[in-house]
Amino acid sequence: MILFYVLIFPGFLFCFIAGLLLAGIDRKLVARMQRRIGPPILQPMYDFFKLLGKETIVPRAASRKTFLIASTIGLASLVATALFIPIAGFSAFAGVADIIVILYLLTIPAVSLILGGAASGSPYAGVGISREMVALMSYELPLVIILLSIGKAVGNAMGGGITFSFTEICAYQMSFGPIISKWSMIPAAIAMLFVIPCEIGSRPFDIAEAETEICEGPLVEYSGTPLAVFNLNHAIKMFIMTALFTSLFLGGFSTGIFALDVLIFFVICVAITVISITLLRAVTARLKVEQVFKFYWSVVSGLAVLSLILVWLGL
Amino acid sequence: MSKSPWIYHINTGSCNGCDIELVSVITPRYDAERLGFKLTGTPRHADIVVVSGPITAQSKDRLVRTLAQIPDPKVVVSLGSCPRSCNVFKGSYSVEGPLDKFVHVDVSVAGCPPKPEAIIDGLALAAQIMKQKKRGQK
Repeated sequence: MILFYVLIFPGFLFCFIAGLLLAGIDRKLVARMQRRIGPPILQPMYDFFKLLGKETIVPRAASRKTFLIASTIGLASLVATALFIPIAGFSAFAGVADIIVILYLLTIPAVSLILGGAASGSPYAGVGISREMVALMSYELPLVIILLSIGKAVGNAMGGGITFSFTEICAYQMSFGPIISKWSMIPAAIAMLFVIPCEIGSRPFDIAEAETEICEGPLVEYSGTPLAVFNLNHAIKMFIMTALFTSLFLGGFSTGIFALDVLIFFVICVAITVISITLLRAVTARLKVEQVFKFYWSVVSGLAVLSLILVWLGL
Repeated sequence: MSKSPWIYHINTGSCNGCDIELVSVITPRYDAERLGFKLTGTPRHADIVVVSGPITAQSKDRLVRTLAQIPDPKVVVSLGSCPRSCNVFKGSYSVEGPLDKFVHVDVSVAGCPPKPEAIIDGLALAAQIMKQKKRGQK
């Protein structure tokens, strides 16, 4: 049974399909917003399988083992995160991990990108990983504050204190309705919508993978299967972040049929992708590194802290 | 394989006319992305390498090194008349000659500059050739 959870649902196969579908829908919608037809929705799947068929060249200046392993570390941590986030109320290993574990697991894909870039032995990759570190620092602060405020909001209703467990958050949303319906949590929801594009690395916050500036940044020397896995990580991260948002803020619905629940969950994930990733990506240009840092540590953190204060005052 | 061809563009001393026409192929009017084409920022991600410009003496070494960095199976497209025959620069002291002196050219899109429709035609042919190369490799 565990193998089924890890490999099929909600593990590797489900993340693979859901992530690549989300990435495809995002690309198609960006194209439509730019008044062109755009690639088919399955395009990221074609990209993935094509890259599996290319040869992998390891540059002489690269450290070979780290170069090849880095992408798999990110993939493993993302699949592990999917096992703990409640998808439509069902989480494969409920009670084992709570929000704090998810927080730590979510830093691993970014670190795997940094690891891969550092192992590449290229100056472009060096610049790319320093930017990725800045991006990581920028969005971690508001993310932690948001999770704290959610924990406190649920803890208030469950008899004081603060809770970090996913099962309690789901139970709270089942009885009281989605957390976003509390007016004091709306700033936190908006802050989370801003954290999502930075974590994924999409315009205007894609300072790490800046194609035109630093030749794709950390991924500059990658080709073949490791590159395929890195692109897969990018797509799965889209799914994980939107699933996190949906399960934390928009939970509490249930139709009784599990397959229908998962479908509705996925549709809501698509909606969140459109709002926070696609719309921003289609209309903005890339921000500078300092601008991203300032934005996240002033505006987005400010919104999150506002929610935290309101929730701590019991509102 | 032929559904997701990624392009890398090398300019070996071109006047930029062909480069602008190539980039315009990605724009909404001609929209090559619906066929899966994508401009990559690094040669290591590319399948199709598009070379424009007569190979100048200064860019020759860089061209050879960059072409070697592209993973197999790869398809070489020469864009415009310059890599095909050096165009008006033939015989100049700084021009090293047509592209097929350095690498086997699979598709050649002629024109000065070629129309975007001709470029899309050439790129689609290159995607087909890539599929054949992949099959031939197995």
